[in-house]
Amino acid sequence: MKTKYLHKPLSQTNAKSRSFFKKASTRDLLYIGYGSLVVLLVLLSYLAGAFSWLPHDPDEMNLDLMMADPFVAGHLLGTDFMGRDLFSRLVLGIQAYFIPGLMAIVIALSLGTFLGVLAGYEGGKVDRAATYINNLLDSIPRMVLILLVVALFKPDVYYIMFVVGVTAAPVVALQIKNKIIYLKQKNFIESAIAIGLPKPTIIFKHILWHNCRSILIIQASLCMAEAILIETSLSYLGFGVQEPIPSWGNMVQAGANYLMQGHLWPSTAPALAILFTILGFYLLADGLNKVLEEKQ
Amino acid sequence: MDNSNVKLNVMKARTTKVVLALSKELSMTLALLFGVSVLVYTLLYFSPGDPFSSFSSGETLGTDAAESTGEKSVWVTHYLHWLSSIITGDFGTSIRSGEPVLPAVLQVTLNTLNLMFFAILITLAIALPIGIINALRNASVFSSASTLVAYVMSSLPVFWLGYIAVYISTKYFEYFPLSSSFSDSGGIDWLKFFFPVVVLGLGSGLISEIIRFVRMEVARVMDEEYIRTARAKGASVWLHAYKEALVLPVSEIVASKIPFFLGGAIIVEQIFNWQGVGRMAWQAAQDRDFPVILCITLVAALIVRGGSLLQRVIYILINPRASQENK
Amino acid sequence: MSSNPHLIIKDLHTYFHSPSRQGFVHACNGVSLDIMRGETLGIVGESGSGKSITMLSSMGLLNVGPGVVSGSCEFHSRNGAISLFPDLNSHVQLTHENGQIVQVKKDLQSWQKKTRHIMRDIWSKEIAMIFQNPRQAFNPFQTVGDQIRESIMLHTNITNKKEAKEKAYYWLEKVKIDSPKLRYENYPYGMSGGMCQRAMVAMALASQPSLLIADEPTTGLDATIQSKIVDLLFELKESLQLTLVIISHDISVISRLSDKIAVMYAGNVIEHGKADEILGESFSKRHPYTRSLLGSVPSRSNVTRTGRLPSIRGEVPDAVNTPQGCRFYDRCDAKTPAVEARCSQKNPNFSQVAAEHQCRCWLYTPEAEHA
Repeated sequence: MKTKYLHKPLSQTNAKSRSFFKKASTRDLLYIGYGSLVVLLVLLSYLAGAFSWLPHDPDEMNLDLMMADPFVAGHLLGTDFMGRDLFSRLVLGIQAYFIPGLMAIVIALSLGTFLGVLAGYEGGKVDRAATYINNLLDSIPRMVLILLVVALFKPDVYYIMFVVGVTAAPVVALQIKNKIIYLKQKNFIESAIAIGLPKPTIIFKHILWHNCRSILIIQASLCMAEAILIETSLSYLGFGVQEPIPSWGNMVQAGANYLMQGHLWPSTAPALAILFTILGFYLLADGLNKVLEEKQ
Repeated sequence: MDNSNVKLNVMKARTTKVVLALSKELSMTLALLFGVSVLVYTLLYFSPGDPFSSFSSGETLGTDAAESTGEKSVWVTHYLHWLSSIITGDFGTSIRSGEPVLPAVLQVTLNTLNLMFFAILITLAIALPIGIINALRNASVFSSASTLVAYVMSSLPVFWLGYIAVYISTKYFEYFPLSSSFSDSGGIDWLKFFFPVVVLGLGSGLISEIIRFVRMEVARVMDEEYIRTARAKGASVWLHAYKEALVLPVSEIVASKIPFFLGGAIIVEQIFNWQGVGRMAWQAAQDRDFPVILCITLVAALIVRGGSLLQRVIYILINPRASQENK
Repeated sequence: MSSNPHLIIKDLHTYFHSPSRQGFVHACNGVSLDIMRGETLGIVGESGSGKSITMLSSMGLLNVGPGVVSGSCEFHSRNGAISLFPDLNSHVQLTHENGQIVQVKKDLQSWQKKTRHIMRDIWSKEIAMIFQNPRQAFNPFQTVGDQIRESIMLHTNITNKKEAKEKAYYWLEKVKIDSPKLRYENYPYGMSGGMCQRAMVAMALASQPSLLIADEPTTGLDATIQSKIVDLLFELKESLQLTLVIISHDISVISRLSDKIAVMYAGNVIEHGKADEILGESFSKRHPYTRSLLGSVPSRSNVTRTGRLPSIRGEVPDAVNTPQGCRFYDRCDAKTPAVEARCSQKNPNFSQVAAEHQCRCWLYTPEAEHA
């Protein structure tokens, strides 16, 4: 049985101050909270890795203490199969995808916005051309294209993130285009033109900044999740960061043999890191979407 | 006018429009494939080394050509030469094996398609019921819990999942699924087939998205006015709803996610040593065997667009309005 | 015209959740309607008055929760009376405060299951309903004819597809559609609004119900088509001896078809009586709302009096936070000092103003009349 409260005493509703939280359900807030926490942790870890604020040297091998359990001898998460501190390696692993991921985001958002605005605002032939390009970029599976680039050029993570960014652009473009169509239906754009606003102002200030901000943030979160997935998958396959430099993907791969022998942790720890981090970005995007975007 | 005559005329008119719409889709697909070939060619063009030498069209072009005069027309001619080799099936020879590329690729593609087909079935078998139930029973404990679990499953790295599957099987069932999945007689060992299929089905990361999409569509359709009419008529609601709530959304989401299943297949095939096109791609990338990976890219694009075309065909055949609109 | 009850709705309270308003709309506030066999009841009111929701509630066609929370609805068939809200009280827990419902606990799943089980024998077989927006009300994936045929095969003895198709042609002709054989093969989007509405009438009547509910059947259609649909309904109800419930905000439609009229405002039936009396010029004891409503209908006589078409000042009250007292209070121009206090405090009950004519207004209670 579900309880419904039908008449709330008027004093309880203080609309203005509670407008954000009123719309958001508990679940959405939890999602956003968890996601923001993850983002914060990733950022901090990136900085920690960049400045080497790590509890242990990630390369230091402690042969007496191989595959130790967590909390043994000052190793927060234990050690891997070479006695190296897992926690430090995990933190350092963020270096592998953070900046490249940001690059992918920048490319995806800028290219996507460009295509989306073209398709939505101009309409007609330009729309058809932009849609064609979108479909084109969607036609090749991302992993396949990346392998092609790796084979033709070199397995550089920045090349790869360039591809990730470009292939993530169609999704962004579609969202922006739909938003513009929605705004057109509401005569928003028509009125802006009618009162004489110049085109760049309409596009940049009114459409993008005021109306598409939330889309861009949400897509950025999704793009980062994608970047992490790709980077870890590729380094797992052997194409990204190489040993001994840690990446979550190559850590899983290196620990795989030991997993078969029953030592689950060295492989599972980075896998869980991937899981919880990607989950954070997904949930952040979902929660923000529900609160900021979805029309009831 | 008697019955059959009237119906015949109406059907004739409608069929013509459908055929027209279908040909439009086909030409769009061809245009996109053409675009893919141009894109791939551009990548080849700008890559270091001499990627065109392995094609029997022979002409070495690469970045040196930029210096020669009449550059643009040379570029086009070269592209057309290359394209004609491609179309006739000549993708050159593999750097690694020296064998012609296309036959080898096509042979393993079948295995991957097999894998993908069943993996998609598994993903749907999980995602569809959850999506439908969540749509029909709004905001229950089950829906929140299932959504969260689906998210977690979709964030799991598939490569780790594969290892865990092997580990569990080896430890608890004393069954090691990693040896070749092809028995000597040339058929498929179904038990060994089971693992990569399940791992890809669960680990492709698409379960939560499909749940969300199906739920949204089913909920939307159930609120449509014609469903209310069906109910008021005492008719079976599902009979009226299934086209728009089930067939169309599922075909749409599956077609759009084929690229992701292919990507996942690369990893799964590597783990389980499944002789599919994903594994071949990985091997080729490692060896820098670009004729192979190039061919695979185009074949992959063909599969993706093929799936998309199939979905458009379904849409046009089911939705009577699709062929009548002027897009 | 017999005085056998056909569909009796008593004290219906329906709520639904409005996400945009972030609250619950009290769509039906104790609605009671007596629909007699062979009679035509016209329900008239503004948008949001609850007229459609009332009939949708009784038909078990509400999608949004919580829906019906209290009241009764009885359908009197040839075999006896069937309650359409079986065991409502066992599915709902209400908490009252100051005479108002403040909390509802309802087991939607099992309630829907139960009502749908009962309604299965009633939907279309006994009570048929046609809706506004006929083109949206038909399944866009099927031809109109096939949908009519479905109704025939579900509810009549005809099980042969070919026979049912012939019967569908018959009904299409009966609703005055030209070239019925051609129109059978049409999809809903390919038909005009008026033609689609006729087809919907055909589909509703093909199952041979005894009661037809028409929810805004003319809204959205061209004026000329509107009158044709009204004429069609009039003819059909006479020839088939239907009980008809017609819901509309258009007085002219109501007046042409109704024997009795119920006027609804903000979730209440505020007047209920014979059509002739309510619409007639001479009748004096009308609800202020009805009077204003009739006075604002675009007609020569209404304009010539003051030179302008009068409109009712003010706005419909907030549906989520309903005011205390009479819901028409803010907009009423007929308040007298004798009743004003009461009007603002308490929502009036029905008072009898003539035989078979009731009015929900403090002006017509015995005390007020002697004041």
